[in-house]
Amino acid sequence: MIGQTKKMGWGFTAPALLWTLTFFVAPFLVMGAMSFAILEGRNLIWGFHLDNYIELATRPYLWRAVIASIEITLTVTLISVVLAYPLAATIAFRVPRHLQRLVLLLAILPFWTSYVVRSYAWLLVLAREGVLNQTLINLGLIAEPITLANTRFATVTGFVHFFVMLLTLTIYANLVQLSPNYRRAAMDLGANAFQTFRHVILPLTLPGIVTGAFLTFVLCIGDYVTPHVLGGNNELTMPQVIMVQLGRRADFPLASALAIVMMGMVTIAYLAAARWLRLDRV
Amino acid sequence: MRTYLPWIYLALAFGFIYLPVCVLVLFSFQDGGLPVPPFDGPSLKWYREVLSDRDVTDALIHSLLVAIGSSAVAVILGFLAAYGLARHTLPGSAFIRLLLVAPLTVSYLIVGLGLLIVLSRAGFGLSLGTAGIGHVVINLPLAFAIIYASMGAQHENAERAARDLGASEMRVVVLVTAPMLAPAIAAAFFLSVTLSWDEFIIAFLLTRFDITLPVEIWSMLRSGLSPRLNAIGSVVFLISVAAVLILEFTTLRRRRS
Amino acid sequence: MTASVLLEGINHWFGSFQALNNISLEIKAGEYVTLLGPSGCGKTTLLSVLGGFIKPTNGKVRIGNNDMTFVPPSQRPTTTMFQDYALFPHMNLRDNVGFGLRMAGIGKAERHKKADEKLDLVGLVADGNKRPHELSGGQRQRVALARALAVNPDVLLLDEPLGALDLKLRRSMQDELKVIQRQVGTTFVHVTHDQEEAMAIADRIVVMNSGQIEDVGPPSQVYNQPATLFTADFMGEMNHIPAQINKGKASTNLGTLPAQDMPDGAATLCIRPETIHADGTGLSLGTARVKNVTFFGAYIRVILTSDENPGLTLLAHLPPGDMPKEGSKIPLSVDANALRFYPECC
Repeated sequence: MIGQTKKMGWGFTAPALLWTLTFFVAPFLVMGAMSFAILEGRNLIWGFHLDNYIELATRPYLWRAVIASIEITLTVTLISVVLAYPLAATIAFRVPRHLQRLVLLLAILPFWTSYVVRSYAWLLVLAREGVLNQTLINLGLIAEPITLANTRFATVTGFVHFFVMLLTLTIYANLVQLSPNYRRAAMDLGANAFQTFRHVILPLTLPGIVTGAFLTFVLCIGDYVTPHVLGGNNELTMPQVIMVQLGRRADFPLASALAIVMMGMVTIAYLAAARWLRLDRV
Repeated sequence: MRTYLPWIYLALAFGFIYLPVCVLVLFSFQDGGLPVPPFDGPSLKWYREVLSDRDVTDALIHSLLVAIGSSAVAVILGFLAAYGLARHTLPGSAFIRLLLVAPLTVSYLIVGLGLLIVLSRAGFGLSLGTAGIGHVVINLPLAFAIIYASMGAQHENAERAARDLGASEMRVVVLVTAPMLAPAIAAAFFLSVTLSWDEFIIAFLLTRFDITLPVEIWSMLRSGLSPRLNAIGSVVFLISVAAVLILEFTTLRRRRS
Repeated sequence: MTASVLLEGINHWFGSFQALNNISLEIKAGEYVTLLGPSGCGKTTLLSVLGGFIKPTNGKVRIGNNDMTFVPPSQRPTTTMFQDYALFPHMNLRDNVGFGLRMAGIGKAERHKKADEKLDLVGLVADGNKRPHELSGGQRQRVALARALAVNPDVLLLDEPLGALDLKLRRSMQDELKVIQRQVGTTFVHVTHDQEEAMAIADRIVVMNSGQIEDVGPPSQVYNQPATLFTADFMGEMNHIPAQINKGKASTNLGTLPAQDMPDGAATLCIRPETIHADGTGLSLGTARVKNVTFFGAYIRVILTSDENPGLTLLAHLPPGDMPKEGSKIPLSVDANALRFYPECC
């Protein structure tokens, strides 16, 4: 019977497994191998060359993009968490229970504008002739429109807008499964609102925050659309540089090396998050 | 004052969240040529223009095809895999589960890049089908995870009862397991369609002539700011919101009964 | 420390549902009082009012001699032991117990010392460094108690504290709670739906139903002389016999029985199963046929149908000895002071 079980089991699981191996694992491995290849003219030469990685480390155009990606991603993660937490907490603790689902839904409704369209909408808001500048001029706060679009500020704003919604959702889910008796017990024992938050709520929700922050990091660092629409040409991020290598020269090896480095950064972030979570448990 | 602080924050946060959406929708009714202030009287001309644009309507249909097709494949494969792993003991099942879920942790750009490299080196052309393959790769882990998490002990008992009454395993899967897991399967399908419908970078990398809506919008974007984009953006938003609200109210009604 | 509690005319509505109806109650300092009743009777709501988690729609709460009706939980001299214990999972036991002291600004050394004292009181001082998830249900309950007592409250509120424990553990914890309460002298208000538990630990029992107080008194009084029909039924098994009272005499289907000082009219006669004898002493209740006999160790539970009124089923707890055979006839009798009449009018 056990033998038959195994065969049937494989029968059910095999299709999904084969798909994943063929269309995810294999391409990933090929990409890895590709990162050690070089492009000479139009010929692709396989082997173990470190040329791409060396170029990444030495060419300013490339390593500046790496640094820009890290800086932007860390900034976005920090700001988004700090802005989303109070919003999630207000919904979880202050909004009447039967309205919470509705308010939450309203808070994340703009999620459903197409991702490309949402970045475009921020461009409209931040453009020199856009809504924000016009409002500031009309209010008499500035005389001339300020350049807000095509800057790192615009990229960060566009990202923060998206991730505040995402994190509000995940942090809310985390807060709401916290037993209300923890807060009651803390207050009962003499803690005021701030002390309750600092000593009880925050430590208990920290794992959820770390997970959300990690998710933000991964999605942000790999995103091409927002920096390309809002960031302008003065500063490029890693995804943009990767796309450039694909476009003009079809330089798969260099693009692959950049992609591997990006994966490396995600892995570091994962290890940091996992270590934090494990420390927390101890 | 202190008690109002959370509500003030809530209002400011909502203001920030809805700012771009409001601007988008407002200026889709712009009469003039630029989607920026001043706002000249409401006009539907951009909606008319964009909805009669062949490229746009084609892209919309392509998006639906890719979304529904890839989601169907992802859900079927995910369901079968979840069943196989939950009901049979396989060697290294923990590793298999990890492998199936792994694509969730990798950036879409990298998934698309890997596939692009392999497909172009192997000489395959790019099409909606190749984009669909990419979408299955990113949706399969989700479908698998959602369905696997929903397979509980009570389902196992019902399946055992069916086997007891003489049904072969395939029949059990089709007639008992799948219907019992219908909510999870539906949720996985809906989530996959939503993600695929809006997905840009994989579709961008893996299509050539026939493109999906996000890619079409992207090429429209390259030609500069125009209320056309506002119009199509608002339409996409409206469709998505309507779908979500319908889902909310149908599940709410089910819950109430 | 300890204090008396005075509840005056407490009413509370949740929307259009009245959870508490004119509750007035006086609790002496150092008393162990249980709020007893079925689910939905309002006992937990009343406890929340006492703890400051709910502000009553109207009425007053006095603790000691101070009006505490609108004082929030953090400033009230009460602490609550929650049903799910609510121990902070990310702190060890010592920090849990010392939490209230930390909020009061007490330094680490003194805090740890006091926390250890309280952990010693509940027998867990050696486990001070452990986390709540490493403990059993009963141990967690004791830590919750230690934490609540660490801040020296005047009144300790316990919300069905023993509900999650198995029977044997529950019984031993009941004894422990009583001992600890005597030791610290704090007023304890304990919510439960289990009348055996209430009788085991309370100095006085407050029986509640549908937001109202049905009866208040020491366990023996509430059990033997229940003030209302509900209380009579709730406190243990009861026989109900319809009766018609006329000039101090009640006519029932089991014969005429004395009912002095009872108003004329229809009434329900309640008799506790253990007060029914099969030995012929006392007032006669006629004969009955045995339908079912079960051995309960300390007594024999017998279900009988009355010969005089075959539709009437009687329940008797007979002393352990020979078990009566099914189908046999037994003469039943009862002492006069075991008769409780509940007139329909009031």
